[in-house]
Amino acid sequence: MMAKLLLKNLYKRYENKKGKKDKTLNPFAVNNLTLECEDGEFIGILGPSGCGKTTTLRMIAGLEDITAGEIIIGDTVVNKVQPHDRGIGLAFEDYALYPPLTVYENIAFNLRARKVKDAIIKEEINRIAPLLKVDDLLHMKPGKLSGGQKQRVNIARAIVRKPQLLLLDEPMSHLDGKMRQILRTEIKRLHNEIKCTTIIVTHDQMEAMSLVDKLAIMKDGELQQFGTPFEVYDNPVNEFVAGFIGEPPMNILTVEVQKREDSFFFKIQDADILIPVPDRYCSVVSDGMLVRLGVRPSDVLIVGEDSKGSNAAISVFENLGEEKKISFRVGEGFLTLITSDDKRYKQGDIVKLEVKAEKTHLFDVNTGDKIIAI
Amino acid sequence: MAKIELCNITKKFGSITALDNISFEVNDKEFFVLFGPAGAGKTTILKVIAGIEFPDKGEVRISDKNVNHTEPAKRNISMVFENYALYPHLTIYDNIASPMRSPLYKKDEDTVKKEVLRVASMMKIDHLLDRLPSQVSNGQRQRTALGRCLVREPNVFLMDEPIAHLDAKLRHFMRAELKEMQSEFDTTTIYVTHDYMEALSLGDRIAIIDQGKILQIGTGDEVYLTPASEFVAKFIGEPEINIFHIDLVKKENQMFAQMLGQEVNCKIEEDVAKVLEAGSYQNVNIGLRGNDLTFSFRKENEEYMNGKIYSVEPIGNKTILVIDVNGQLLRLIAPNDLKANIDDEIFVRAKMEKAMFFNADDHEYIYRHNQNELLGVK
Repeated sequence: MMAKLLLKNLYKRYENKKGKKDKTLNPFAVNNLTLECEDGEFIGILGPSGCGKTTTLRMIAGLEDITAGEIIIGDTVVNKVQPHDRGIGLAFEDYALYPPLTVYENIAFNLRARKVKDAIIKEEINRIAPLLKVDDLLHMKPGKLSGGQKQRVNIARAIVRKPQLLLLDEPMSHLDGKMRQILRTEIKRLHNEIKCTTIIVTHDQMEAMSLVDKLAIMKDGELQQFGTPFEVYDNPVNEFVAGFIGEPPMNILTVEVQKREDSFFFKIQDADILIPVPDRYCSVVSDGMLVRLGVRPSDVLIVGEDSKGSNAAISVFENLGEEKKISFRVGEGFLTLITSDDKRYKQGDIVKLEVKAEKTHLFDVNTGDKIIAI
Repeated sequence: MAKIELCNITKKFGSITALDNISFEVNDKEFFVLFGPAGAGKTTILKVIAGIEFPDKGEVRISDKNVNHTEPAKRNISMVFENYALYPHLTIYDNIASPMRSPLYKKDEDTVKKEVLRVASMMKIDHLLDRLPSQVSNGQRQRTALGRCLVREPNVFLMDEPIAHLDAKLRHFMRAELKEMQSEFDTTTIYVTHDYMEALSLGDRIAIIDQGKILQIGTGDEVYLTPASEFVAKFIGEPEINIFHIDLVKKENQMFAQMLGQEVNCKIEEDVAKVLEAGSYQNVNIGLRGNDLTFSFRKENEEYMNGKIYSVEPIGNKTILVIDVNGQLLRLIAPNDLKANIDDEIFVRAKMEKAMFFNADDHEYIYRHNQNELLGVK
C-alpha cells in the first residue's frame, strides 16, 4: 500500500476570473516544482501563506488542474486520473465528519460507498482505531468529540482505505497547544506503524521539523530547499530559509567586513559588536564588503570579563522559565541570544558577547543566497 | 498614579458565571498580566475595569475610589485590542494625535503637538511622524499604537492580546519590543494573554485565571517554579510538565520515592521529606518539567527506570523525546543531534531535586526542594 511520488516540473497558474477586464496573467502559484518522495517517506511542505503549498497538495490529490508538468504516483502519471482513483487518503484542516453518523460509521463511510463487505469493514476499523486511539469513541457522534478527537477520526477515515499516499493539510492548525503536542506525537507514531508515504502541508515549522523525514520549503511558488530537517536547520541555502526555520528565529544582520591588524572582523551595523571572521570565509571576504550574517540565538554567548568579545548593553531580558532570552538593540532589530544559564540581568546591564564564529552563516546582501565558504 | 482594586467581582451572562468572586489588587505602575485559556474570563475582567461591563456583584476601585458608577469615558483608561487598527490614511503624527482631537478629549493644537512629540520620542518614532502606517515597520506600527494610547496620560493601560494575531516569529520580536518600551510606560498596565511566554516575559506579576476564578497570583518565578496546583503547572511551559503518582517509602530514616511500577528507589531531599511528614501526606504526585528528567541508553544506577521510546521530535535546537514507562508518557528535552528510534529501549531518571510535589487528593501544590532559595526568600 505504498508508493513513490514524483512531481516533475510542476506548474500552476490560476486563470483570471471571467469578465475581468485586466488580461494580464496571474503569476505562477506553483513554479517549476520538482520533488521526489520515496516509498514510505514522510515529507513536509512548509512555507508562509501564499507560497503554493496547499495548491501543490490539491494538485496531487486531483482537486486542482495542473497547468504544466507531471505527477507520478508509483509508476503511473496521474494527471488525468480522477481523484478517487488515485489511491489517496486525504485529511484536511476541517474535519467535515458527518454529524448524524457515529465515529464508526464515519470511518466506514468510504468503504461502504465502495461496497466493501461488513465483515471486512469491521476488521479494518478494528485495526485502525487503536492506532489513532479512537477505539473507545466508535459509538459516539462527532458532536461529542473534542477537536483533537475529531481530527483523529478524520485521519482514521483517510487511512482506512489503505491509500498509496496519505495527504495531510494543516491537520493541527485548529487545535490548541496541548492537543497539538499530543496529536503530533500520535501522527509520528502512526507513520512509523503504517509506513504509508505521507505528505503534510503546514505553516508551523516546529510541527514540520518534528514529524518528517524531509522538508520542502517553498516561497512564492518556488521550492527553496529540500532536505532533512537537520540539513535545513544547519545549512540553509538562503536567507529566507534561514529566517523561516528555527524559533526564536535566527539573527540575520547586515555586517561590514573590516580588516584590523591582519585579521578580518564582521562589524554589526548600528552596533559596536565585532565578530572574528572564521578562516573558511577569509578567502571570500574583503575589507569594506557588506554581507548578511546569520547566527542562531543559541550560538550567541555571554562570556566572562576576560574573554575575547564585544561589550554590549542589554535592551531586553526575558525570563521564560527554562530559558532566558536576552536581546540587544541593533538599529530597528535585535541581536538575540537564548541561554539556560540561571543568571538574572536587567535592562542596561553591560555584558561581554561572543558570537560563535564557526556557527555563522553568510548571505549575499542582494540575492540572499548563501555565500559558500571555501 | 493609579492603583486598581477588584473586590469580590462576580459577573454572569445568563446562566454562565464569567467571573466568580474575583479579587485582586494592581499596584501603581505595575505591569500586571491576566493569563489563562480562551473563555477563562480575562477579557471580561478588562471590560469590567474599563466600565464596558457592569459587575453583578463587587466593587472596582481606581486610586482608592469606587468607580462602579463612573462612566467608561471618565475613568481615564486606555485600551488596546488585538490588532492595533491604526488609521491607514493618517500619518503617524495624526494617528497619535487622534485621541486628543476627539470631541470628548479635545485639546488645542499646541498641546497636541507637544504631546505627540513627547510620546513619539519616548517610543523612538519621532523621525517617522510624516509617514503613513504602511510605510513603517511592524515594530514601529506597534509603537505608534502604544503611543496613541499614552498621549492622554491614562491612569490605566489595558491591553487585550495585542500581539496574539502575529505568527510565532514576529511575536518573539514584538514581545521584546514591548518589553523594551515597558520601562517608558510609567503607567499601571493590565495585559491579557493566553501565551505563557508573554506572561512570563512581561508581567511584574501574573494572575492565572480559569473558568472565572483566579488560581494563583505571583511573579513569573513563583508561578513557574512553585505553581499553586497541577493545573497551573500544566498551563505553563512546553513541553507540558510530566505529572505522575509516587509511593513514599521510608528506609533507615531516609525517604524514597517509588514510581511507575518500577524497581527504583529515588531519594527524596531532606527538606521535602520533612514537609511531607509534617503534613502527613500519603497520596503524592510529582511534577517534572522536560529538563528535569535525564535519560541514558543503559541502566546507570538503581534510580533509572526502564522505558521505551515512544516518539522522537526534533524541533531545531533541541529534540522532544517521548518515553513510555509502563504506559505513562514522559516528555523530555534532549539534544538536537540525538540518534534514537521509536520503540528502542531507554532508561530515564527523575531528578528528584527538581521535582514539585503535589497532593494527589486535591492536586494542590505542597513543596519542592530549596523552595525559598529558588524564590530568593530570606
